[in-house]
Amino acid sequence: MTYIGHGGKEIVERVLEPEKAAEAIKGLTPVPIRGQIAREIIDIAYGFFTPLEGFMTRADVEGVCNEMKLANGILWPIPIVFDISTEEINEKGIKEGDKLLLTYQDKPMAILEVEEIFTYDKQEMALKVYGTTEDKHPGVARTYNYKDKFIGGKITLVNPPKINPPFDEFFFTPKQMRQKFAEKGWQRIVAHQTRNVPHTGHEWLMKGAWLSAHGELPVEKTVTGVLVNAIIGEKRKGDYIDEAIVLCHDVLRKAGYFREDVHMTSITLWDMRYAGPKEAVFHAILRSNLGLTHHMFGRDHAGVGTYYDPYDAHRIFDQFPEDALNIKPVRVLAWWYCPVCGEVTYSGLCGHKEQSQNFSGTLIRSIIQDGVKPPRLIFRPEVFDLIMECAEKYGFGSAFVTDKYLKERNPVFTLPDMKY
Amino acid sequence: MSITINIWINEERYAKLQKAGLADMAEEVLAGLKVIKVPCTEEQKDKVLKVFPTAKYDSATTKSIELLPREVKDKIFDLVVEKQSIDIMDEFLKNY
Ligand SMILES: [Zn+2]
Repeated sequence: MTYIGHGGKEIVERVLEPEKAAEAIKGLTPVPIRGQIAREIIDIAYGFFTPLEGFMTRADVEGVCNEMKLANGILWPIPIVFDISTEEINEKGIKEGDKLLLTYQDKPMAILEVEEIFTYDKQEMALKVYGTTEDKHPGVARTYNYKDKFIGGKITLVNPPKINPPFDEFFFTPKQMRQKFAEKGWQRIVAHQTRNVPHTGHEWLMKGAWLSAHGELPVEKTVTGVLVNAIIGEKRKGDYIDEAIVLCHDVLRKAGYFREDVHMTSITLWDMRYAGPKEAVFHAILRSNLGLTHHMFGRDHAGVGTYYDPYDAHRIFDQFPEDALNIKPVRVLAWWYCPVCGEVTYSGLCGHKEQSQNFSGTLIRSIIQDGVKPPRLIFRPEVFDLIMECAEKYGFGSAFVTDKYLKERNPVFTLPDMKY
Repeated sequence: MSITINIWINEERYAKLQKAGLADMAEEVLAGLKVIKVPCTEEQKDKVLKVFPTAKYDSATTKSIELLPREVKDKIFDLVVEKQSIDIMDEFLKNY
């Protein structure tokens, strides 16, 4: 089994065994971190972000902002940075060459090697990455919220997280994911990025993408799969609750809308930046590290508001040579319901634009909110029932994130106690 | 575009409407799912938002009042059927 990831670099797991970890963290200066950084540490440590082995240095950030490339020339669209305040640096006497113990949930989590302490103009970073300096853009707001200094350097996970139910059965590291694909005999795997519970419009996007990816391959044996990869990160009020997203996607297979041997559900920890086209490239890199061969991109992938044209995220893949990525974009238009055709159909095929009915996000949310069971052509009944069940079981009565959910939900992962 | 409260009509509700001879009230929006748009005046909208603090007015896209509790929407639907009219918001708000 080969583990070659993005940029032709080997996938490296930076995780210490427990005995070595306890020894390694003795005497290190503790630095508490927030959720975003903790999630990115897990991503780096298991190779989701290959070739990154740590947080970016200034040269990397500069390359990413100005040329969409790391300092080593490998394609990379979004800065992955560790921010810290000057006060904390001074207070703790942090200097280049130090090792820090990053703590989360009051437990040791990872070692950060302080290779470089640097500053970066946040407004410039925002403009280069997101194409705007408006703080209404959530990615820009996130950038402005960074503290005033950054630390670049390698990280090593010393206390692997325990992924909590119901997410535990959907979390696979890049190496584990590749093993799964090998077991299934999949040669081509197409990614469906999601932060939604699936209506039939999504289901057909996936089915259409499967057909595209499968292409000329023989059909007697299943050699092509769909991987649903749900992005799990910081939640905002009104988002679908994570549990409903993951479980409802999975039930599409369990209820037979996808055959058992062609579909799989998984999660990746990541706080959406809503960087539109740049985020599309980032998602492609992430999924290529997971061993996927194709990535479906629909309308307005990872966009927000009107900052990007709905198909910017398609066009960006024409801007660099094909061999810059080990994954092929599958570019698709929306599926809609056509009362003339009498079915959910592809807008690139159906000629009844006038009569077509769109799956509007607002409409779907409103239906779910009211708990009015829609026709099975919109929502599979198993999916709709499960949304309602998840709302009761995980969402304090709501399928959408509320203040109570933000405060009281069971965390996606927990760091175990660690003796040192 | 006037302000509305959208009442989604699935098969169960549609049967009730048909029984009351009101099937024409519902317009199809998606794959057989229908909607009744109960109109609200500016004042009625303000009162709804005041009485039901979870509710939000979507002024940007749909001009509809969203996030009303389910039971409230059920009551509005029942009142539409009872009064055989969609102009029921004054009547509805009398109780609050
Ligand atoms: Zn058609």
